[in-house]
Amino acid sequence: MTAESPPSPSTPSRWRREWLLPLFLAVATSSWMVSVEGRQGIGRDESQYFRAGERYWGWFESVWNNLRAGHPGRAFSRASVDGIWEDNHEHPPLMKILFGVSWRLFHTCDCTGPKRGLHPIPITGRHVTLPLFGRESSAFRFPAILLAGLGVALAYWLARRVLRPTPAAVAAVLSVAQPHYFFHAQISCFDAPITVMAVLVALAYWKSLRSRRWGILCGVFWGLALATKHNAWFFPVFLAAHYLWIRRGDLRRLRLPRPPLAFVSMATLGPLVLFILWPWLWHAPVPRTRAWIERHLQHEHYNFEYLGRNWNLPPKEPSLRLLRATFPFVSTVFTVPVTTLALSALGTVVFLRRRRRGSERSQVLLEDAPTAFHPSWVRPGADVDRAPGVFLAIHIAGPIAMVALPSTPVFGGVKHFLPAMPFLCVVAGAGAAWLIDFSRKLLATPSRALPAALAGFLCLPAVAETVRSHPDGLGHYNLLAGGFAGGASLGMNRQFWGYSALPILPWMVAHRPPSNRIYWHDVLHDAIVMYSRDGRLPLGIGDVGVGEQVLEQSELGIVILEKHFTIYEGLAWQAYRTTQPSIVYTHEGVPFVVAYERHAAPRVSPPPQPEIFAP
Amino acid sequence: MAFPVSFDLDFLRRRRLSIVVAVAIVLLALVETVNAFVAPSWAPTEKDWGAAAAKVRAQFRPGDLIVAAPAWADPIMRRQLGDLVPLAMAGRMDAARYGRIWEISQRGARAADTAGARVVDTSRYGALTVKRWEKPAAQVTFDFLAEWHRAEVSVVTSDHVEVPCVVAQERFQCTGGTSLKPELLEVDTTLRNGLALDPAERSTLVLEFAEVPLGRELAVASGLHSVWLRKLGDGKVRMRVLALGRELGAVEATSSSGWDLKTFDTSALAGTTGKVRFEITTDKAGSRHFGFAAEARSP
Repeated sequence: MTAESPPSPSTPSRWRREWLLPLFLAVATSSWMVSVEGRQGIGRDESQYFRAGERYWGWFESVWNNLRAGHPGRAFSRASVDGIWEDNHEHPPLMKILFGVSWRLFHTCDCTGPKRGLHPIPITGRHVTLPLFGRESSAFRFPAILLAGLGVALAYWLARRVLRPTPAAVAAVLSVAQPHYFFHAQISCFDAPITVMAVLVALAYWKSLRSRRWGILCGVFWGLALATKHNAWFFPVFLAAHYLWIRRGDLRRLRLPRPPLAFVSMATLGPLVLFILWPWLWHAPVPRTRAWIERHLQHEHYNFEYLGRNWNLPPKEPSLRLLRATFPFVSTVFTVPVTTLALSALGTVVFLRRRRRGSERSQVLLEDAPTAFHPSWVRPGADVDRAPGVFLAIHIAGPIAMVALPSTPVFGGVKHFLPAMPFLCVVAGAGAAWLIDFSRKLLATPSRALPAALAGFLCLPAVAETVRSHPDGLGHYNLLAGGFAGGASLGMNRQFWGYSALPILPWMVAHRPPSNRIYWHDVLHDAIVMYSRDGRLPLGIGDVGVGEQVLEQSELGIVILEKHFTIYEGLAWQAYRTTQPSIVYTHEGVPFVVAYERHAAPRVSPPPQPEIFAP
Repeated sequence: MAFPVSFDLDFLRRRRLSIVVAVAIVLLALVETVNAFVAPSWAPTEKDWGAAAAKVRAQFRPGDLIVAAPAWADPIMRRQLGDLVPLAMAGRMDAARYGRIWEISQRGARAADTAGARVVDTSRYGALTVKRWEKPAAQVTFDFLAEWHRAEVSVVTSDHVEVPCVVAQERFQCTGGTSLKPELLEVDTTLRNGLALDPAERSTLVLEFAEVPLGRELAVASGLHSVWLRKLGDGKVRMRVLALGRELGAVEATSSSGWDLKTFDTSALAGTTGKVRFEITTDKAGSRHFGFAAEARSP
């Protein structure tokens, strides 16, 4: 038996296992996210991607309009292209294009009314749409949510290379049931999509070792990954490391392994796909590609809290460099559900013993027997064991190791190494496989329902933790850390992007000062605009702008509680002549956002419901 | 009645370690699931906070300090009791002058401000514990921050020319554009009240207080303001501290030194009144906004 040819081929049960189950997981995942995304606020980056996505859609509209007007080349002129695609050009466009297209297709249009002026593109008439979503932000988010669903299916298919269906389903569920991943997966950003792309490329590469078709697809998929986020630059490094490992026999014989089709495809089709998808590159491909790369290689170190310290520069002292290097490891240990970690540890043992325990491996891991005596450049892994353990280890260790470098900025926290997580969950799936196999052997008369029941039970803690964390997944820490409060006490980052203001918006509207001078701190103007378009803020809600100077001009203001934002709370105290916030938004007793009012009369006893406690 | 599940006892005997691992993971999954459902209810509720605040409010006396533990709960505490936490208290140099400290704590945390104090009253309100800590309050004989306008401030240039600064618009305005005034500072992501200035290179800013009643110690806390400026600059600010013409020591502030509190022993001078002088210099002035607070006191 091989992973590519599981037992009972061409049967309805195989169809159920290979397609229906992942389809169900994908639909369930996307449905889950669609049902809860509305509780999650709009982050600063997301609001910019909304804007850019809509503008990118506007360019496609202009292509069509110019074509109809008989000027097909006009939209492709440098001025037209740059005028649109310059917006947010530090990130490649694929997801933003999808966000824009989804918005255009699925929003409920009241665009010609008073909200017309809030759009970044000219609104020439009422849009004919399939109005799936009441909020425009939901329509923008839909592609990311669908992709997250696809990601679960991909995790399942990846896990199926080495696992039976039930533990593969465990791996797939665990890959999404992670509070931090779940936070990122339902918003219009790139961190979950690039994680999905990492699995897509890795799966294609794995299959390409014995399949010509997948070798070609691998290059296309890498192009899509490049067009999603710059993490994709490193995918070939991981794949090359694995390829050299499985072909180490060649190296021992002092023979260079033949370059596999997948790499040839990645080297040619990858950049081509990126170039086709990214109009920003069209008129100056080399300098703009170089600028894109340099932008991220020299990225500023934003502020980020880790173990009680605010990190915003690469540390110089050796002890701090060491402490900083622990960041991705400690963050993983404190953010991934503990049962998932334990299953991963168990799965690691399973993979370590894979080569030694031939008699048992068929019950836990699927075999990966060579399919030919000699490799070819289109099937370069046909004659060797593909070393799934090493493959997974590289994909787990690679992203984490890069973030462990003290020179790498850590401002994104866990999101910067999310691409490691599906692979970690496949290892956890191997742990689940061992447990299921063991329980079967333990029981004298095992029930047929046992594997499914045990699988569901093993997924339960991760799902429960994820449900618990919403909508503040960034501030969630696991059982080892002590939950939200434990993470806060450990000095772990609680949030970023200013997304957490959403729960206090009704209060802000109710307390809007007559002057309409409101300070929104880290909630960007683009986010205010989208909240207004969503009907969550009234049109014309005040916004005095950003910066330390403008707070003094406001009558009502919020402060997002991040460690480095303490300076803004001090400014609020001085501006409003009080240290007493009027409202605090908390999750499990941990504060996320405060709002202050100018000239608020001192309160002897607080009014009812002064704090919002998230359910 | 027979147990509905039967085990392969022989297998069980042969695989004891595996049994332990399997049971441990199943138990872990159970505990983590239950915890996910139950732990949110362990967080303090609004009712808990209201009751704890009412307790503090009923027994609060002017001069008491109110703190939250862990410190991250401070905004919630201030939401309830902020009218009793004025800016001077919230941005305090340290807690030495407070003899009674109200601590609203959770999860067994203890505020650093209560170090050296003893609990004299404890009560629980749901997930919160209100403790009244007491300790001998330091007797502050001179608060240099509160009395800042009594200072004589000057700039001594590299060629030893002393140029006095003038008081203008609630600040000392000095030659070269340097000014000194009380500010609420953010030092090491904590808010502190302090006298603040932008030190200049190749000159010394001198603050001299003439008639300072000295206690047994001179406490000086200092640091660099603003998370943005600390990131940008890398200069060091040094402040010499002299009492009655004698150098007590010096403090140094760098981007990573935080709010550095030092106490200088002045017990030999306790009870006397005299001149206290602060001399502030820097090696690199760029993005350095230095602040300090100081008290002459007897613990």
